[in-house]
Amino acid sequence: MSTPTISPLVLGKPMNRVDGRLKITGAAKYAAEFSPPGVLHAFALTSKISKGRIAVIDTAAAELAPGVRTVLTHRNAPKLDQPNPSKNAGGGILNEERLPLNDDVISYGGQYVAFVVAQTLEQARHAASLIAITYEEAPPALTSKDAPDSGEKPKKNNGEAVQLKKGDADKGLAEKGLVVIERIYETPTETHSPMEPSATVAEWESKDRLTLHDATQYVKGVQDILAQTFNLKLENVRVLSPFVGGAFGCKGAVWPHLILTAMAAKVVGAPVKFALSRQDMFTGAGHRTPTMQTIALAATPQGELRAIRHRTETLTSHVGEFVESAGARSSGVMYACPAIAVEETVFKVNVATPTFMRAPGECPGTFALESAMDELAVALKMDPVALRLANHATQHPIKEKPWSTNHLPDAYRLGAEKFGWARRTAEPRSMQKDGLLVGWGMATATYPGYKMAAVANIHLSADGTAVVQCAAHDIGTGAYTVLTQISAEAIGLPVEKMKFELGDSDLPFGPVAGGSNTTATVGSAIYDAADALHLALAKLASADAASPLHGIPPAQIVMVGPGQMAGRNGPGKSDSFAEILRRAGKEFIEEKGSFKPPLVFQPGVAFQSFGAQFCEVKIDPALPRVQVTRFVSVMDCGRVMNAKTARSQILGGVVMGIGMALEEETIYDRATGLPATRNLADYHVPVNADIPEIDVHFVGEPDFAFNPMGARGMGEIGITGTAAAIANAVFHATGIRVRSLPITLDKLLA
Amino acid sequence: MNPFQYSRAADAPQALAGLAHQPKTKLLGGGTNLIDLMKMGVETPAQIIDITRLPLAQVEELPGGKGVRVGALARNSDVAAHALIVQRYPVLSEALLAGASPQLRNMATVGGNLLQRTRCPYFYDPAFSACNKRQPGSGCGALEGFNRSHAILGQSQQCIATHPSDMCVALAALDAVVRVQGPNGEREIPFADFHRLPGDTPEHETNLAPDELITAVDLPTSAWMARSHYLKVRDRASYAFALVSVAAAIEMEDGKIKTVRIALGGVAHKPWRAVAAEEMLIGKPAEEAAFRAAADVAVAGAKGYQHNTFKIELARRTIVRALTNVAKA
Repeated sequence: MSTPTISPLVLGKPMNRVDGRLKITGAAKYAAEFSPPGVLHAFALTSKISKGRIAVIDTAAAELAPGVRTVLTHRNAPKLDQPNPSKNAGGGILNEERLPLNDDVISYGGQYVAFVVAQTLEQARHAASLIAITYEEAPPALTSKDAPDSGEKPKKNNGEAVQLKKGDADKGLAEKGLVVIERIYETPTETHSPMEPSATVAEWESKDRLTLHDATQYVKGVQDILAQTFNLKLENVRVLSPFVGGAFGCKGAVWPHLILTAMAAKVVGAPVKFALSRQDMFTGAGHRTPTMQTIALAATPQGELRAIRHRTETLTSHVGEFVESAGARSSGVMYACPAIAVEETVFKVNVATPTFMRAPGECPGTFALESAMDELAVALKMDPVALRLANHATQHPIKEKPWSTNHLPDAYRLGAEKFGWARRTAEPRSMQKDGLLVGWGMATATYPGYKMAAVANIHLSADGTAVVQCAAHDIGTGAYTVLTQISAEAIGLPVEKMKFELGDSDLPFGPVAGGSNTTATVGSAIYDAADALHLALAKLASADAASPLHGIPPAQIVMVGPGQMAGRNGPGKSDSFAEILRRAGKEFIEEKGSFKPPLVFQPGVAFQSFGAQFCEVKIDPALPRVQVTRFVSVMDCGRVMNAKTARSQILGGVVMGIGMALEEETIYDRATGLPATRNLADYHVPVNADIPEIDVHFVGEPDFAFNPMGARGMGEIGITGTAAAIANAVFHATGIRVRSLPITLDKLLA
Repeated sequence: MNPFQYSRAADAPQALAGLAHQPKTKLLGGGTNLIDLMKMGVETPAQIIDITRLPLAQVEELPGGKGVRVGALARNSDVAAHALIVQRYPVLSEALLAGASPQLRNMATVGGNLLQRTRCPYFYDPAFSACNKRQPGSGCGALEGFNRSHAILGQSQQCIATHPSDMCVALAALDAVVRVQGPNGEREIPFADFHRLPGDTPEHETNLAPDELITAVDLPTSAWMARSHYLKVRDRASYAFALVSVAAAIEMEDGKIKTVRIALGGVAHKPWRAVAAEEMLIGKPAEEAAFRAAADVAVAGAKGYQHNTFKIELARRTIVRALTNVAKA
């Protein structure tokens, strides 16, 4: 049934965050702020080597230290069941597959080697410092060059092909009369660095019931993995995550600390709290793997692409799989081209396990492809926007299916207009001002429209208020607010009467807050639940002799106003939610709805968002630190659900892209394999002074083929293309092409 | 974090008695560096004496026009905003404001800033076992490791760490004097002698004796000090340690340079006065050619490593720019 609803016109409005007041007053409680009575505190000791084994571990002094309750190591840790993420539908994510403290093997620097639980955090930390370890150490492999034989070519990533072949790219590159460029681009290891480090509070209610307060993007995933690991019934594990202080992907999988904390709480028989230190966040919660991408492009002198070849090398650990599909997710979707070849190779090294970080694949992939397109434009003496317009893909280039909607050319045009691109002079160093080099660059952004599975529950009370529930997440994105708006619109009630609950595994199924899917997925389930609710109310009214709608077939009863229903063909008579429930003697009515899509492609169409990024940099030629001075971001993501939170999503993506372009790099010490930049003084993310005005615009139309709201996600697309736009602007300003991020001033000193 | 004793000193003699009684004592000022290092396990004092109640937070004029005295417990933010400092020693105000963040500057004290420890990752993170400064004789992890932030001047095979302070670079240019109090009374340490080069004992960073308390920094008075400037070059627009910084001052007479000061930060184990470069500028016109020649002299003995060789050229350019700025001012 698809009951048309009367829109209270809340969708699209720049509504303030419903949780804003809780956050700014400190009332919003984050995982580490939960302190059950008797809670103990844990501190993890991490490995100082990256490859080898623990020969001797002496915990005697630590065990005797004041306040210490237990010291867990591989020698005394309880043996747990190996969880299988694909065992259950909608199962959890396990990037690092090895269970913590499982054996004496060290696979990466920073690996947890002991877990100390004490009355206070300070006692635990002090006791950890008393543990003496003798390692058998071997030289670590840190790069693909150190482990050339470990390379593997994965077939799929999240169910999608990653080795792509369309036409014959090698042949296309060798064709006569074409302009060909081939370049190598590198992106470094990047670490998510959310404000809130990961944290878990584990409490065993009884020997078969576990409650976790956890900073996670996936309460149902944590529930699944923990239930398997500790051999518990799924419903006996409860995971709560009402607020998350940023995640960007590092809180999507179940990391070892979750299992360690639950294990320790079981051993000591008391609740245990463990908050990762900032140092731990560089090895214990994933990172973006470094990429080395070799891109070859061939185009006619008029700028028509004839061949794209995109080869990517990335790294993963010895204890977990992760594929960063830089080629498939950029060159595999971006341009119309008769020959596209994408190859991805993953090498195993002695570094912690990588994970998804905001636009995994698209983000490094668009840096490389969109830098290469700029180099091609220079080689062709063609305007970078014109080159992209000339190669606009009117259908998915690999799948050869039409897009559900695609307004990328509008994004280029509007972006160029807002930015003033027409005033750009093409020659590098040609736009100096006040002694500074001025550079203008642009790039294309892209991210797929993803949907997952979800169930939503609507609880409508006779007083005209409703609570809508789904085990979804708000990791700072504004999901609480947007899902409240969608609920109001779908049900047909004012937003003030709505409450949305999320972040609790006891609620109906919600997907990982990943792949920018929450709005599309959970919103679709809300619409389905609203349909069920309207039908149930219509049945009550139809069957009720006292109702003005008595006798009208329920399928003919529709929404006509906020909380008001009437016969489709019979104007004049209407009934209200409140009256229907009152007469039925019900205090409330509850209905569920669900959504189960194919992951990306519905038959016949491809769902993909695109955008255009334009940026200006100013650089002092003598002291060449890059300052981004203007940024225009124009996105086509379908319908905008909330003008304010949507803009914030794109702003955040661009800010993070500026960090990627200019500052972020996790550096590993050659000798030990330990990160040498594992704090926020050495690992730079942008500060306010680095960020200019960012002018965000949206183009396009509602994508109703995608979901009832017509909206595709916005969480990730803002970072894509940003680094390339900046690198291209830096080239335009200086004449120096930097192909290895970040663009620090030493790379421009020449 | 090591267990430690905490007490609060009511006056200087109490603090000094505590220092004399327990050699493993640290004095607590703003705590912005010390507490961090204690959490990391780098500093493991047996005793902490909180000296924040000592009456040493004044910024005041010395009698007889002899300059300005800045108390050791004056907060960085207060010093930076003080009218006497802004008017007479702009280089010091600018340097302070170029350091850290407003929150840190509100806590950090002048005395603590003098004693800031290096941000070398091999020193700061005890997971790295090689650090001669933290563990004498254990080696230097930075020599063959990640050394982008490290020294190019005055370093040794034992240590290539840099001093992280901005304030101290300005004080080096201003010929400041550190006033300290010990069991045998007060003494003065000229700023150039306060910090040490690493040599074979990088664990000894200053010439302050373990039983001494810094009470103040004296700034002498000279007309040229009002024409001074701090230029900091770093990896982001704010809130980052210097790759290279320069404190510069120029006094002109008859179109020629009469007095000049050039001090560098981010390049050495201590704030680095480019004395030879200063000397060669005396009597020269304040022109770019002269500044370039002086900058070449300033980095003449510089040596770079795998990740920081760029600092030699960057130091040259920063000196030229700082001198140019101050000459124009």
